[in-house]
Amino acid sequence: MTAFLRWLRDLVHRFTDKLDLPLLLALLALMTVSLVVLSSASDGNSRLVLSQGLRFGVGLVALVLVSRIPPSKLRLWAPLAYAGSLLLLSLVFVFGSGRSANLWLNLGVFYLQPGELLKLSVPMMLAWYLHSVVLPPRWGTLTVCAGIIGLPVGMVILQPDLGTGMLVLASGVFAVFLAGMAWWRIGLFAGLGLLALPVGWHFLMPYQRDRILTFLDPESDPLGAGWNIIQSKIAIGSGGLTGKGWGQGSQSHLDFLPEHTTDFVFSVLAEEWGWAGVVAVLALYLFVIGRSLWMAAQARDGYSRLLAGSLALAFSVYVIVNGGMVAGLLPVVGVPMPLLSFGGTSAVTLLAGFGVVMSVYAHRKFMG
Amino acid sequence: MRLSRRPRIKNLRAEAAQFRRRAAVAGALVALAVLGLGAGYFRLQVLQHEEYQLRSEANRIKPRPIVPARGLIYDRNGRLLADNVPAYRLELVPEQVGDLEATLEGLADLVALDEEDITRFHETRRATRAFRPIPLKLRLTEAELSRLAVNRHRFPGVEVVPYLIRRYPYGELFSHIIGYVGRVDAEDLQAMGDSRDSARTHIGKAGLERYYEERLRGEIGYEEVETNVEGRALGVLRRHGAKAGADLHLSVDARLQQAMVDAFAGQHGAAVAVDPRTGEILAMVSLPGYDPNPFVTGISHRQWQALQGPARPLFNRIVLGGFPPGSTIKPFMALAGLELGLRTPEDTTYSTGEFFLPGQSRGYRDWRRGGHGRVDLRESLAQSVNSYYFELAVEMGVDRMDAWFDQFGFGHPTGIDLVGEISGVRPSREWKRRRFNQPWYPGDTVNAAIGQGYWITTPLQLAQATAVLANNGVRHRLHLVTASQAGFDQPRLPEPQPPGVRVVKDPAHLLPVIEGMVAVVHGPTGTARVIGEGAQYRIAAKTGTVQRTSRQGEESIDPNTLPYHLRHQAWTIAFAPAGEPTIAVAVLVEHGGSGSRAAAPVVRRILDAWLLPPAEETPP
Repeated sequence: MTAFLRWLRDLVHRFTDKLDLPLLLALLALMTVSLVVLSSASDGNSRLVLSQGLRFGVGLVALVLVSRIPPSKLRLWAPLAYAGSLLLLSLVFVFGSGRSANLWLNLGVFYLQPGELLKLSVPMMLAWYLHSVVLPPRWGTLTVCAGIIGLPVGMVILQPDLGTGMLVLASGVFAVFLAGMAWWRIGLFAGLGLLALPVGWHFLMPYQRDRILTFLDPESDPLGAGWNIIQSKIAIGSGGLTGKGWGQGSQSHLDFLPEHTTDFVFSVLAEEWGWAGVVAVLALYLFVIGRSLWMAAQARDGYSRLLAGSLALAFSVYVIVNGGMVAGLLPVVGVPMPLLSFGGTSAVTLLAGFGVVMSVYAHRKFMG
Repeated sequence: MRLSRRPRIKNLRAEAAQFRRRAAVAGALVALAVLGLGAGYFRLQVLQHEEYQLRSEANRIKPRPIVPARGLIYDRNGRLLADNVPAYRLELVPEQVGDLEATLEGLADLVALDEEDITRFHETRRATRAFRPIPLKLRLTEAELSRLAVNRHRFPGVEVVPYLIRRYPYGELFSHIIGYVGRVDAEDLQAMGDSRDSARTHIGKAGLERYYEERLRGEIGYEEVETNVEGRALGVLRRHGAKAGADLHLSVDARLQQAMVDAFAGQHGAAVAVDPRTGEILAMVSLPGYDPNPFVTGISHRQWQALQGPARPLFNRIVLGGFPPGSTIKPFMALAGLELGLRTPEDTTYSTGEFFLPGQSRGYRDWRRGGHGRVDLRESLAQSVNSYYFELAVEMGVDRMDAWFDQFGFGHPTGIDLVGEISGVRPSREWKRRRFNQPWYPGDTVNAAIGQGYWITTPLQLAQATAVLANNGVRHRLHLVTASQAGFDQPRLPEPQPPGVRVVKDPAHLLPVIEGMVAVVHGPTGTARVIGEGAQYRIAAKTGTVQRTSRQGEESIDPNTLPYHLRHQAWTIAFAPAGEPTIAVAVLVEHGGSGSRAAAPVVRRILDAWLLPPAEETPP
């Protein structure tokens, strides 16, 4: 019996010794918040809460497994992972299916969204490449990076999935930024980007233009996206300092608030938990991001650093974009609140990403 | 790396320091952004709390879209061809339905739901936001309605919604003119985006319904609905008016349309009748047709399969069916001879039964063995003498022929208000080089002279050209819609049409051609003289037969003994009364043997229906 217990303890230890406890606890806290808010937002639909719990379970398994893979291996696989996800992405164009955009690949058992895989594989590929060249990057290096980022981002936007495209782009840009791209070069790129905005407008889908226009003037479309923003702001504002209490949010329970289990779940939290709840959750997010960045900085090799760092910063984009969008501070883009919104693939990729961060930190001593 | 400068070496320590600096900057920026978020929420939740608190409490008003009635479609005498009738549909709001599967199962006991209904529901559900209602079943029956009324409390998020459904009272009769509306599918939804239009359930899919979709559907409005604490509607506070779709008035006449179908007596083909003076379509059919009504609610797989047969009832032969025009091209050739100064009406050709190009041994035949002897323009039309046109075409040359037929609209869509019209083929040097990368041979000109070879025309194009002959050489654009009315209290506005284009420079040249066409029907030698018997008015016509098999050797083939699919396409073009034409027609009978035997009698019946006083009319 004791032998069995010891075996069990060793087993648990073997699988958990690469984990970072503070980060893990913060993530678990966020997931708990998610389940509590969702159980209110879904009007007690236990199936929805259960399936979100299941996704977190899968995500945590992914986190544990990924944390056990040494970064040297992750580096070896980087080009393969990049090529593989590009291949899957191109398959979506041929066989894809999905709501209003071809984002999903039917794998028989479940649907895979190759755009999600890119959120890991693009930073991996960039870190792999930047690791092999002299830093800080100059024009030649930057051109290659632009290619590595641009190809998948272009394909994702064509699908069309602006939200995912933006997140993949951000994760890539962060890798280059962390690699030490000179400030004046950054300024030049930002300027060019601003100039390209009118051209980009031309390529947006009608619904995407609508969203930007309604962001500028929500009252112009009181039946469509403008309605969402107005109702979301009412939900948040009426929450006040301490909130209406769990299950008491009239905005979401009377169906004024759209998509209140997915993209607008943070409004439900703000309505029911008030500004206090918002600050607490934002603090949790800030801790997760800060801790991940610090862990990345402890790594001894460039690849691990850049990968873990850009994943941490990409995570922050979710928080800022979604948090800003539901409060009407940013246009409506299909970006979920990370780990809070109901939804599958993104929770799993995010948790796997934190697995990478933990692996980098755990293996910091063994890398040259 | 640029080697021109100092070679750069990877400095691991510096890179690590660089990363730490950058990570610190990034971390600070993120912290700043999150702080900004916190501040933004502070403004909403603390500073503006009272305002939003009030708005939340007063938030009992929801906008609800109002879909306006689709515009009606009338024939030229005000008969209703496309109507809206009240019906009820079953809708689900996925977000309000607790257990979707259980709800669907429960509803299946009350309402007849087949697999297609369920599949379509799930497809739409994936493309729509969860708070929007999705139709599950259209056109509920009385029995279903009463069962639902009793059980409604069991199903939250399920609603019975009254709406207007499109109905085509004449069924098959106008299928290829009016087309039909169908349920909005995922593709339409994406095209409509996230705007108000997504409240629509139907959209024009074919025919006029599709061509005039924008005008027929009107503009969606919305009403502000007050709801109670549970979110149930209490009353309407304000309406932001929907704009009704425009009613369309067509030039077609339902009586003539029916007569046209009857004239075919079950044969397949197409016919177009035009008022040559205006370009108004008086009637046009493509046979067989189909009943558009099942398409409105969603056609079942079995019904769809039934429409896929070899007769192709969904295929609109009027605008899509292209065949060589055969001898119906001859009046236009004859006219070209006069207009270009190559012939006078009295000039003759001697028909020996076979025509030879200089230096070639291949002969081009007349349809009568031994030939027709010496014929002038009138007789060449009456008897349809090929040799006359072979000789004329060789003199004229393909380039002048091409320019001439271009003016009559051959090789172009007519521009009628229907979607997807084909251009057909007007053979020319340039066309042949583009299509086959081959030079033009003199033999091609000879074939083109009698409407064979590369020629492709639609019934609509031929009707348009015939109308030019009937209208003193002026071409009008063919059209179906003559007027529209944006709501019953609005004035009826005529549809603007481009002015007519003069095609024939000297209208005097038309006289001998029309005389020749009259001789086709009323002359002693006319190919269609059978239809001239007992006519109370004079008809100008020309028959044409398009061969599917070419004559081999000396044998002539009786078209009636050929297998069905190899039988000839029979054409006849006509207008009447010959002195002052009020109607021009083009008739195509598929696999009908010769033009004079199969198509000409159809023409006569159509002309009778229009020009003779109507018999008793039976309502649909």
